[in-house]
Amino acid sequence: MLTGTFAYLIRLRGERKQTPMECTSCGPTAVRKDKPHTFFMHEMSTCPGCQVAVEARAVLRDNAVFHLIHCTTCGPSELRVATDAKAYVDAFLARGEVPDGLVGDHLLKHTTSTCPGCLSLIPVDVVIRAGKVFFVKRCPGCGPSEALVSEDARYYVGAYAFARAGTEPLQFTGEVKHGCPTDCGTCDDHEQHTCLPIIEITDHCNLECPICIVNNQYANHISNQAFAGIIDAMIRNEGQCESVALSGGEPTSHPRLLELVDIANRDEIGRVVIITNGLRLGRDRAFAEALKQKGVYVSLQFDGFTADTHEKIRGRDLCDEKAAALKMLKELQIPTQLIFVAARGVNEHQIGQVVELFLAEDHILSLNFQPAAFTGLGGGTFPHDPMDRLTIPGVIKAIAAQTDGRLRESDFSPLPCSHPQCVSLTYLLRLPDGSHLPFGRFVDFTKHGTLLRSSATLGASPEIHDAMNDVIHDVFARQDEIPRSTEILAALRRSLDVMFPQRALSPREAIRIGEQQAKSIFLHHYMDRHDFDLERLRKCCHHYPQVDGRVMPACGFNMFHRGAAKGPSTPLAAWGKPPWEAVEPGVKKLPVVG
Amino acid sequence: MGLLSGRTAIVTGGSRGLGRAICLHLAREGANVAFNYSRADAEAAEVLTALRALGVQAWAFKVSVLDKKGLQDLARTVETEAGAIDILVNNAGIGQVVPLALMEEEDWDRMMNVHVKGAFLTTQAVMRAMIHQKRGRILNISSLAGVKMMQAPVHYSAAKAAIRGFTEALAKEIGRYGVTVNCLAPGVLNEGVSGNLPPAKKDDYLRHCALGRVGTFEEVAEVAAFLVSDRNSYMNGATVVLDGAV
Repeated sequence: MLTGTFAYLIRLRGERKQTPMECTSCGPTAVRKDKPHTFFMHEMSTCPGCQVAVEARAVLRDNAVFHLIHCTTCGPSELRVATDAKAYVDAFLARGEVPDGLVGDHLLKHTTSTCPGCLSLIPVDVVIRAGKVFFVKRCPGCGPSEALVSEDARYYVGAYAFARAGTEPLQFTGEVKHGCPTDCGTCDDHEQHTCLPIIEITDHCNLECPICIVNNQYANHISNQAFAGIIDAMIRNEGQCESVALSGGEPTSHPRLLELVDIANRDEIGRVVIITNGLRLGRDRAFAEALKQKGVYVSLQFDGFTADTHEKIRGRDLCDEKAAALKMLKELQIPTQLIFVAARGVNEHQIGQVVELFLAEDHILSLNFQPAAFTGLGGGTFPHDPMDRLTIPGVIKAIAAQTDGRLRESDFSPLPCSHPQCVSLTYLLRLPDGSHLPFGRFVDFTKHGTLLRSSATLGASPEIHDAMNDVIHDVFARQDEIPRSTEILAALRRSLDVMFPQRALSPREAIRIGEQQAKSIFLHHYMDRHDFDLERLRKCCHHYPQVDGRVMPACGFNMFHRGAAKGPSTPLAAWGKPPWEAVEPGVKKLPVVG
Repeated sequence: MGLLSGRTAIVTGGSRGLGRAICLHLAREGANVAFNYSRADAEAAEVLTALRALGVQAWAFKVSVLDKKGLQDLARTVETEAGAIDILVNNAGIGQVVPLALMEEEDWDRMMNVHVKGAFLTTQAVMRAMIHQKRGRILNISSLAGVKMMQAPVHYSAAKAAIRGFTEALAKEIGRYGVTVNCLAPGVLNEGVSGNLPPAKKDDYLRHCALGRVGTFEEVAEVAAFLVSDRNSYMNGATVVLDGAV
């Protein structure tokens, strides 16, 4: 009680404190409980009971560092391993500074990944080599292997400085029994709530994409009843959701999609988003108008501008179909996100072109780059070299190189609310003349991390209000140093006026207004059998809710529970919990090798 | 070593009255002082000479507290010349004795503009530098008439009360940048706007004042110098009443 009162008084008096990373603006932050710690990384430890070596969560709490241990024999325990969290973090960041001229591997840390051969979980060394980051693996069954994890070691190490505490859902849907990821579903060992539920409403599709990361069986359309059950469960779990995404398969192939949209269109849900290849949108105007009428947002898969890129990634030339979809979305001014799956040697040269398209159209609110993940029905067998692939810093470099200085590498920052290696983003403020300027040009994100959220737009939350006021004062004080500062201040003034008017806004109104203030570019790197990192999975906030109530973190589900981590012939692991089935009691223990 | 050695202050309305006393007192404590004035050229020149005689840097600007551009130029000049602006005293004010029944709209606007809008424009021009350097002291001169129920002109009391609200809200807004904002509310003084009180009103004040006398500019300036010094480090958003206990 004292703590709560004190915290309120601190807030009342405007003191500064680290803001826990609530990653949506969809609800009052007081409802969802903050995590009592900041999850920093995985680290080897020793069970204080049986003295067995275990991988622990290293968390920062009360300015100290603790190992949170889950021992399959002794159960949960914790150890305080350092008394000064800042010194611990600084020491880790310093460990990432590789001496000039060093030849060979520089060991940064350890984590748990997967053997690309047998998919067993194995401990790996995370090493810096020639400015890049690699996993060095030794599977007892399959032998050694390596995988590129990041094309820029400085980015990779520096991203850890963005770690922030997560929040908890109102209720968990799984229990901690065997540890992560066996217990997936989610349990209270998970470090972030569901910021984006992705509901797979069908496993039918009208394309067979060579890069497809799911495992379509062409057997199921979700029933209205089952879908409503998922929505109800998400509201119970989360209270409110800023967005709910309908995916598949191809969701527009669901014969009752519009009914599902009606079910999802609730006050507790800010946006209903359909993730689609756009084929039906381009040819079925009545359908597109129905989506518009229902206020649906569209995430359009858009991976290139030429026949060859479409053929390589989507299986056939889709230039005309994509153009038709874009035309329809523009005509109807349907709020749109473009999703660009970027693969080395395939479409990376068209990254700048999609940025230009995104900036040119007002109805395109965000752009999501997804460096290709080689998992799923198609992606598992997509031609690739695990030692030479696109990662987030590589895409950022390509954006900077291909946009003539409109965007710079420094405009992007790791997203703190997910694991900072999973997502990078920039917001672009709409200036009075209609152009857009990256927030990174006038915001120091190390100070104003609250502005970095896993949302396509700025939310009208009290935290954002405070952060915007900080930014306004910062820009005001540095007017002489910041180019276009007068325009920036005018734009921020406009944003404050409309986002925080002298009347209450409904969650939907707040979202609609917020998305007119800034565009966003996200880079989200899903994992596969090469770069899977259990540490990252811990803080995943993009989840697949299941019909049985489980809420599955995306990459864990793709890797272990779909049964297609290496393509269509991948057998489902014995402990896997596939979709469309209820969980059987007595789940088997996840084998950890090594 | 003075209380304000090495600091640079801007005082509005510094050519006469309480503003002049504050300018000179800050300078005696070692502060470089810039002040503005609107009409009194001769008095301003005298103050400037007096300030420089105290061995500090001094600047006088003939610019109204309602001239936004002029105030911005003033702030930039002082910042460039002195390297920083550490202190702002929003002192500029006017007095006018008129009952509400006879008060013209222009009377009201002029009173509110000089006191409140003037403080707003001057503070906005100056606080940019303070936020940038993460340090600053802002002192707003209010009045007992803005704090307690007194027989004083309505527009004057309203303007001085507004200064107090201005102080408290601004203290909340920019305290996080190391800038403190406080308010000083003097009672009746022997000079200035209260110097010509009718004897009956002055006697009434003295009857209720525990010290049994009116205050002086020097006494107010002394407290002002302390309030804007580094030694006053934790006071923020406060109104200090200097009235001999009325």
